[in-house]
Amino acid sequence: MEGNDPAAERVMTPLHPNQLKVLRVRTAIAMLFPLVLAVGLDLGPLRETALPLGLVAGAAALLALAATLVLPARRYRAWGYAEAGDELHVSHGLLVRVRTIVPFGRVQHIDVAQGPVERRYGVATLILHTAGTRGAAVPLPGLAQPDAERMRDRIRAKIRQGLA
Amino acid sequence: MSDQAATPRRLHPATLIGRSLQIVPQMLGGGAAYAAVIAREGWGRVLLFAALAGLIGLGTALLAWWRFRYTVGAGEIVIESGVLRRQRRIIPYDRVQDIAIERRLLARLFGTAKVKIETGGSAADEGSLDMIALADAHALRDLIRHGSAGPAPAAGAEPVLFEMKLGRLLHSGLFNFSLLFLAAIFAVLQYLDQFGLIDLWEWFTPERAGAAAGIVGLRATLMVIGLLVLLGVVAGVARTVARDFGFRLSRSEAGLRRRRGLITLSEVVIPIRRAQVALIESSLPARWFGWYRLSFQTLGADRREGGVQVAAPFARLEELLPILAEAGFPAPPPPDRFAHLSRRALLRRVGPYLLAGAAAALAALLIEPRAGYAAGGLLVLALLALQRWRSHAYALDERALFVAGGLVKRRLWTIPFERAQTISVSRGPVQHPLRLANLLLDTAGASLMRMPEIVDLDGADAEVLADRLLGLFYDARARTAISL
Repeated sequence: MEGNDPAAERVMTPLHPNQLKVLRVRTAIAMLFPLVLAVGLDLGPLRETALPLGLVAGAAALLALAATLVLPARRYRAWGYAEAGDELHVSHGLLVRVRTIVPFGRVQHIDVAQGPVERRYGVATLILHTAGTRGAAVPLPGLAQPDAERMRDRIRAKIRQGLA
Repeated sequence: MSDQAATPRRLHPATLIGRSLQIVPQMLGGGAAYAAVIAREGWGRVLLFAALAGLIGLGTALLAWWRFRYTVGAGEIVIESGVLRRQRRIIPYDRVQDIAIERRLLARLFGTAKVKIETGGSAADEGSLDMIALADAHALRDLIRHGSAGPAPAAGAEPVLFEMKLGRLLHSGLFNFSLLFLAAIFAVLQYLDQFGLIDLWEWFTPERAGAAAGIVGLRATLMVIGLLVLLGVVAGVARTVARDFGFRLSRSEAGLRRRRGLITLSEVVIPIRRAQVALIESSLPARWFGWYRLSFQTLGADRREGGVQVAAPFARLEELLPILAEAGFPAPPPPDRFAHLSRRALLRRVGPYLLAGAAAALAALLIEPRAGYAAGGLLVLALLALQRWRSHAYALDERALFVAGGLVKRRLWTIPFERAQTISVSRGPVQHPLRLANLLLDTAGASLMRMPEIVDLDGADAEVLADRLLGLFYDARARTAISL
């Protein structure tokens, strides 16, 4: 029964460094929306009030800048994965930290997905689909694209082996 | 047999009546409403539109019936349907997981049945023949199951695992107290309100309610409440009898066969190979008297029941054990084998209520005496949270993980190790500093609302348990692979 090594000693591999850039670009894009909202507030409803012009927009810009500088790096560090003998361990999450174990024998199909930002930086997301409910799709982003494809082929070969 | 069987057939003509009963009233109502809206020209016009719409509905039903054909071949059944866009579905017999036969009131009047053919794919309605003659339905079932349309094996020959006699049925109905009929009445009122026939909000004004209370007084109010409770009990018994009349669970070749129903008769086989998780549950009043309900979470089961099939709605614990054994599930271990949550979990579960309660008590003393009510309420919540913490526990045996929990409704999940899809350990922002974690053994076909997640385990224990479950999963898989 003690076939698998305990979790504490398992070393998680970090994601490809380019994924950090992907996360930065994504956070920056996500921050644009509240920024535009703040500028709109400043020029619109708040114009006639005693608040100095640009206070809300300035504060929002500072917050957005801080979020873009701080969050992506922390989020990037939260991700990790380990490919053990017959399963994949994925950990992620800043606020809610999750470690998921996916036995390869349970994988129904595998996707390698790549969004526009990911394509620009040459990384891809590997998605393992199982028949489960909450864990029906386990994504692992931030793999160099050739690595993601190699991993997919490796897992596929293992599934075939298991079926034979 | 082959050339006789291979001719395409249509559904039983009674289908037309059933379809019309469904479509025509809708069309009638729709047509009438349409007429009433476009022109307020009196009842003559309204009736004309209604009749036209009704005719269109009838025509649609007739066309759909005319264009629906099925062919029972030697190795497969072919279903062709669609008025304009034709669909041709071929279901090979060896892919069929099960055939469910359902007979609603109308079907019983005409001696017909609805046959549902399930293949384990993801589509909800994979092959549905609604309706064909009962004899044909049985012949089809036997053909698919045994490869021949021989005489149906007497259902009585199958060993019966669980049965509900009338006394037990009525007894179970008492615990199914339901105020659903009130909701139904309210829904009808709201419907009328939508069409501008009545105005609900004009009726229910605070002044009127106050005036009514003043007029009728306490005794009458109590009587009305008593009447409502009585009606609730009657409605509960009626609903239970209609659903579970003649409940019988027997062991069939492929799984557990369940028959039940008073007006709508249904027959379903719960395939054992596809049963993922066993769930024993009991709500508070029934639990005091020792009554439990057993159901199985199955893969690709009837969507209406949310992937959960009831195997015994109202039974003693010892009656459930043989059913569990028959379905290949281990019996739950005794209570002392269960591990409870750490005391640290109380900080998260009860702590916030106690803190808020203390604050409210302080406010009651210093500022506003009425805050004392809030303090009392929070204390009750804290006690409930404590009780919930005490009922949440888990256990492992050689074959499965058991997770127990719930306050009013207690649930006990049995998850055989080999049914795990993924294993995950998660920590929320409050759990992390408290060194607590949740563990979930995810399975196929589970309901997102109710998951057998172990919440607020000791963090280190959760990690160790996750890896242990992984090992047990591999062991169980290896065992089942050998036994196959």
